[in-house]
Amino acid sequence: MKVQKARSYVVNNLRYALNPSSIAVVGASRYPTKVGNKVIYELVKWGYRGKIYPVNPRADEILGFKSYRTLREIKDPVDLVFVAVPAHLVSSIVEDAVAIKAKMMVIATSAFKEIGRGQLQNEITEYCRKNKLPLIGPNLVGMGSPYERFNCGFIPYLPIEGPVAMISQSGANLLAALGTSQESHFGMSFFVGLGNKADVDFCEFIEYANEDPHTKCLAIYIEGLDSPEAFVSSCKKVQKPIVVIKVGRSKIGVKAAFAHTASENPNSDEYYDKVIADAGAIRVTTWQEFLDVSLALGLQPPLRGDNIVMITNGGGAGLLSCDHFERLGLPLHELKEISPMLEQRIRAYMPMFGSPLNPVDISGTASVIQYKGAFQQALRDPNVHGVLGAICPTAVTDVLGTAKAAVEVYESCKDLGKPFVMICQGGAECHEAILFLRDHGIPAYATAEQAVNAMVALYRYGTKK
Amino acid sequence: MEKQKQYRIGTSEQQAYLDDYNFAPRGYGFLEPGVVSTDSNEFVAFNVAKSFYQVYPEVFNLAYVEKVTGIKQADVKKRLLKMYREHEMMLVFNPAVSIMGFGLYYWIVKLKKGATKEQRESLTKWFQDNDQICTGYMMEEGGDFDYFNGNHMRNLDNLIAGVLDKFKNQDFIEYVHLCPIRRCVRESHVNQFDSKKDYRRYLWDEEQMRNVLKFQKKMDKDDFAIIDALNNTKSIGDMFDFDVLAKLSGLDAKEMKDNLCRLVDKDHSTIPMIYFNYMALGLKLHFFAVTLFQNTPTFRSEQILDELCEEEAFSNIFDIGDAHHNYVLTAYEDITDLDRLRKKILGYGEVTEVLEATSPRQFRRWTCRLDAQNGYWEECVFTDDVLLDRTTEKEGK
Repeated sequence: MKVQKARSYVVNNLRYALNPSSIAVVGASRYPTKVGNKVIYELVKWGYRGKIYPVNPRADEILGFKSYRTLREIKDPVDLVFVAVPAHLVSSIVEDAVAIKAKMMVIATSAFKEIGRGQLQNEITEYCRKNKLPLIGPNLVGMGSPYERFNCGFIPYLPIEGPVAMISQSGANLLAALGTSQESHFGMSFFVGLGNKADVDFCEFIEYANEDPHTKCLAIYIEGLDSPEAFVSSCKKVQKPIVVIKVGRSKIGVKAAFAHTASENPNSDEYYDKVIADAGAIRVTTWQEFLDVSLALGLQPPLRGDNIVMITNGGGAGLLSCDHFERLGLPLHELKEISPMLEQRIRAYMPMFGSPLNPVDISGTASVIQYKGAFQQALRDPNVHGVLGAICPTAVTDVLGTAKAAVEVYESCKDLGKPFVMICQGGAECHEAILFLRDHGIPAYATAEQAVNAMVALYRYGTKK
Repeated sequence: MEKQKQYRIGTSEQQAYLDDYNFAPRGYGFLEPGVVSTDSNEFVAFNVAKSFYQVYPEVFNLAYVEKVTGIKQADVKKRLLKMYREHEMMLVFNPAVSIMGFGLYYWIVKLKKGATKEQRESLTKWFQDNDQICTGYMMEEGGDFDYFNGNHMRNLDNLIAGVLDKFKNQDFIEYVHLCPIRRCVRESHVNQFDSKKDYRRYLWDEEQMRNVLKFQKKMDKDDFAIIDALNNTKSIGDMFDFDVLAKLSGLDAKEMKDNLCRLVDKDHSTIPMIYFNYMALGLKLHFFAVTLFQNTPTFRSEQILDELCEEEAFSNIFDIGDAHHNYVLTAYEDITDLDRLRKKILGYGEVTEVLEATSPRQFRRWTCRLDAQNGYWEECVFTDDVLLDRTTEKEGK
């Protein structure tokens, strides 16, 4: 349902959704195959430190916790009520949640507006609003935060700690990101599935993320915007980069978005382009771009100008990058245009057949020492705004050694506030290097285009304000 | 006097006996238009009641119960809560297997003489914990057979691979007799879809009722009267208080009622009912597995069963096709004159054999687990083999 602007009581209470001291799981199940069991199992598995109250009128005990027949039987304070029961039970549970003065309500249940039960969803929402009980959902997968060891929902993963707050209407896509977090070292500050967003809207999580100390970048997946004005208004308050992927561009996608999360898209896609632009957010098109760009914006400072120097040991990666930079409207400049002195200095780190053009090709024989010197020279040059490094694994390349050198240089030049992005295209050793670089704050990617997308997003953010 | 029909093939009487039934005795796995899924909007009234009656017994039509039994509503409510908490009753539903698109298959298991206690216990545990068993009974040692278990399946290969093969060839098994249900006639005292008459009638033999009140002290006549009233409403619309269901769910009372009445009263596709948990009272079920001579015509087999259905002491009546056995009938020990029932069955010249066994333990009641001792009272697990190929799940593969 529409909101005019982010409501302060909602924003204040969102901490109970992401760091509750107690949680009641309504629909908790004794059966390990059921959602209501998984919620508690995952809470315990990932180290949730608060109290857990299973609610199930048929059970006495669930996973070792005393089970309650109703919410009202719980005599201790309950911060968060997580509901995993069929839609036809939810009205009654919401009344109980209000009665016990719960701080936050999360309804995972589907089968509301998206299947034609809009009236039921609206009645529940209005009741929650009247009683100032913020409601997240319905029709969502869950939420959590690796910093709080909190994984609440039917989510089998807790992501690694990191800078990106992922706010997603889609549970499946959220799960995809969470699933790859540990493998690809994509760190998150918190994550939430909003589902039908009957009550709590994007704007409120956006303002919460702005205050969250762990969040450095907001990544928002949108299927429908009920309250575009509130979205724009909240985004404008945010002092952190915001990346948006808005789906439902296609004709059939509009219908699919309604069937999925009851999202209505009465306006053209150009309208959303404008809304997102007005909000000062960066709109991306593909899911991979969404992840890549969010990671870069979360880890790196903005790119304040277009003097980007690329240092590579492979001409191919350089060419792919050049072309993609130009496609995206940010062509690379020749090194001599950026800094004639740098062109001279950097020659010391390449063989005679290397190329100091830009990309700077220090050749396939480049050693760790050469890489390190070239990176240092480029980052320290006052005319250079950012550096893109690339490693191609030739037989003589020490991939991990180069990654370590990159980290050393990055650490020593951090105060300069210049972004440093890496490409490691190759096999297992490159994957290892990517993880190492990401662990040390450098966004690294397996392809040139991904890295260029990241650099361009850093530029767009760095030059927007 | 009307001439008795012979149902000869090639005449107008050919298989005309099939017209006597709401759903004709026939093959298995028939899926008919009009069937709805258990989580459909049409069935939501039952689901609301099923989810709340443990705490809010007013989901039942207390005013109706008071009118029929004379027991005050407040007392009815108290008694329903008590019966639930003592596991003497459970709200359940039966789907009409004749039209749901799956067959209902039971199987009788006989262990070899000398099977050890450990072997028996391991098999019992396997049955209890296997979610594919939607109903199952363990027999006491010394009977003619040891288990009578059931499941619904769309695909017989799945049943064989997923359930039967797991134990069928073990050394301590004498035999497994598959018993496809041709007509589900009576379950848990309630006449089912394939009963020739008195659909949805909840029956107790008068003598049994007298005896059960003497046999135990947990439930008194008022408790039984409440279950009787709720199970014997003429329309399903009288079983529940739809205003209470609407208040709890936020859904429309009239719409819920109309839908449920259509499914139950008109379509005969499902039966919500109160299951009486005889085990809570210490009762045991006595089983009669009846075999007719193989040259008995099907119409005659159906006639005999219809006559046996007049006997109200049978709490479960299954008609079986294409199997070693033709019927399985049950009645409670201790409170029933089993000799009388045995003589009645054996009084039919078509009967060639009756196997008997006594069960102290039912594993599940359709999809609801009954094993409170394991902490799973009323845990509902619905399994469905649609789209599955369980032949690939064989152990060792």
